[in-house]
Formats: sequence, C-alpha cells, structure tokens
Amino acid sequence: MLESPFRSDGDLLRLLASGEEKAFLEFYRRYQGQVYRFALQMSGKTEVAEEVTQDVFIAVMKSGQRYDSERGSVAAFLYGIARNFVLRSLERESPYVTVLDDPAADYAARLTTEAAGEQDVFGDLARSERLDTLRKAVLALPPAYREVVVLCDLHERDYAEAASVLGCAIGTVRSRLHRARALLAEKMRAGERCAV
Amino acid sequence: MNEDRELVEALRELASNGPVEAPPRVEQRLAWEFRRMKRRRNLLTWAPGLSAAAVALALLLGTHRDLLHPHQAKPAAVRAVESAAAPVAEEEADASFYPLPEAEALPAVENAVVIRVQLPVSSLQLMGVPIGNERAGASVDADLLLGQDGLARAVRLAE
Repeated sequence: MLESPFRSDGDLLRLLASGEEKAFLEFYRRYQGQVYRFALQMSGKTEVAEEVTQDVFIAVMKSGQRYDSERGSVAAFLYGIARNFVLRSLERESPYVTVLDDPAADYAARLTTEAAGEQDVFGDLARSERLDTLRKAVLALPPAYREVVVLCDLHERDYAEAASVLGCAIGTVRSRLHRARALLAEKMRAGERCAV
Repeated sequence: MNEDRELVEALRELASNGPVEAPPRVEQRLAWEFRRMKRRRNLLTWAPGLSAAAVALALLLGTHRDLLHPHQAKPAAVRAVESAAAPVAEEEADASFYPLPEAEALPAVENAVVIRVQLPVSSLQLMGVPIGNERAGASVDADLLLGQDGLARAVRLAE
C-alpha cells in the first residue's frame, strides 16, 4: 500500500478552505494534541480544553486562509487563537476555581496508579505528589505568567515564538518567565515545608 | 541556579505526563461541523446567483404579479406561478418542495414564483433533496420556489 504523500501545512490550509474534509482532518490530527494540551495546562479543565480545541479548529475552518507564514509558524498561529479562547474562558470563571478545584484528578490518580505498580512505590508516590503540586502551582499562577511557563517550559517553544503568540517583546517573555519560575519555586518550597 | 534547573526538569516531566490528545469525540464533532459549513458555503455560493438569474428570467418571460395564481397547499399568503418556459401542474406545485436551510432566515413568503431550472444532481443533494448517486454528475430539471424578493426558498425535483 502506498503511503500518502506529505502535505505541507500551507497545502492543507488551502485545501481545507476549498472544502476538502480529508485535508481538514489531516491538519486537525497534526495539531490537535498541542492545542488540547495547551488549553488543558492553561485551564486545568478537560471540558474547557475540549471546548477550546473545538473552537480553535472551527476558527481554522472559517479563516484558516488568513494564516500568514511570514508572521510565524502554524503552531504559533494556533496557540494564539487557543490563547484567546482560553483567556476568555478564564475571565468567565471565578479566579478561585482553578486553585481550589481538582480538575485533573484523573491525571493525578493515573500517576498514582502507575506509581503503585512499580518497585519503588514510595519514591514514585513522592514523585507523583511533587508533579501534582507543581501542576497546581502552575494553575495558580496569574495567566500572564502561566502562559509563558506553558509555552516555554511545557511546550518547549523558544522565546521568539512565545513572543509571537503572546504579541509582546521577547524581553517581556524572558522577564515573565523568570518571575514565573521564581513564583513556582516559592510555591514548591512552601509545599515541601507543609509536607514535612 | 541549581534550583532553577531542577524546576525546569520537573516542568518537562510534568509536560510529558499529561494527556496528549483530545478525545475522539472532538474530532467527530469537528468533522460534522466541517460538512455542515461546507454545505452551507456551497448553498450560499450558488443561491444568490441562481435567484438573480431566476428573477431575470421571470421578468423576461413576462411573469408578473397579475399572472400569479393563488397557491393551494402553502399558507394562504403564498402564491405560485407556472413558468411559461416550463409549465408545472398547479396541484403538484409544492407537493415535494424541500425548504432550503438559508430560507429560515428570510422574510415570510407573500408572493412566490416557481421556475424550472436545470441543476446538477450534486447541488440538489447538498440542498437535501433525496436523489440517488446513480445520476451523480448529471443535471436534472428542478423547480425553484422564489419569494417576492427573488431569493430561493425551496426546491423540488421536476421529474
């Protein structure tokens, strides 16, 4: 069986704009993971992540041809759209929900279950607890700091790409990231003190 | 410095542990939405042009308000006319009309004309007319119900 030839993002955007469903699905499968994870890490809620993912790709259906490769990568274009939807969703919600809620309890539970099956049970439990604390600390950051951590540390985007997504200067990304990491380190230290 | 590196490593670990994909239902919903939008876009592409052409044709053929006949099966205000170029039996004028999705947003029909046109089978399928794929690619006669504004409201197979 012949493998279908690789189609560039530009080709897919053009074809989906002309109504080719296969092109749309190929484009969706190529980027849905990044968009979904970004929305989940920003909101901490699977339902928000699903809704944002859906909204982002509907926006692509409607105006994907507006993408300009000179202004950044397709991923940056999609992160930018996702960011707008996430921020809108965060604005609608109480600022306390994210911190008090335990939105990804299934995720934490999965980590715990995985850990229980391994030899170093206590070590893995400590690791999963640490990750859970870190996840909550990220979610508790103000959105302006949270988004740079999600983009630069969790999605490994460089400063230039993050600046393009956020529509700010590279220096701003750098300083926000520095501050965000300091806040996270502080929260993690506080968490460890509580655990002791 | 060391603490910063440890934190970044922990963040990378966090990134690699989360869910990696949206649930399949998101793709299903989007595929459905894509088809809906495509259908809508196709209708919007041909409907205005066709309506304008229909109005021009009706005027050309001398079809005018004084030639309109009361329409039996539609609401009282709706009237239909037989196109001189393509006579349509009055009793069957709206027997199997399929309303166009875009028509819902249009004003109620006060006066209507029916004109006969030739349309590709694929277009009729997009408009929701149940017609088999065996004639895909061919064109068939269809009756178009136009409102007083000249915009198409419904369609049916003429055969």
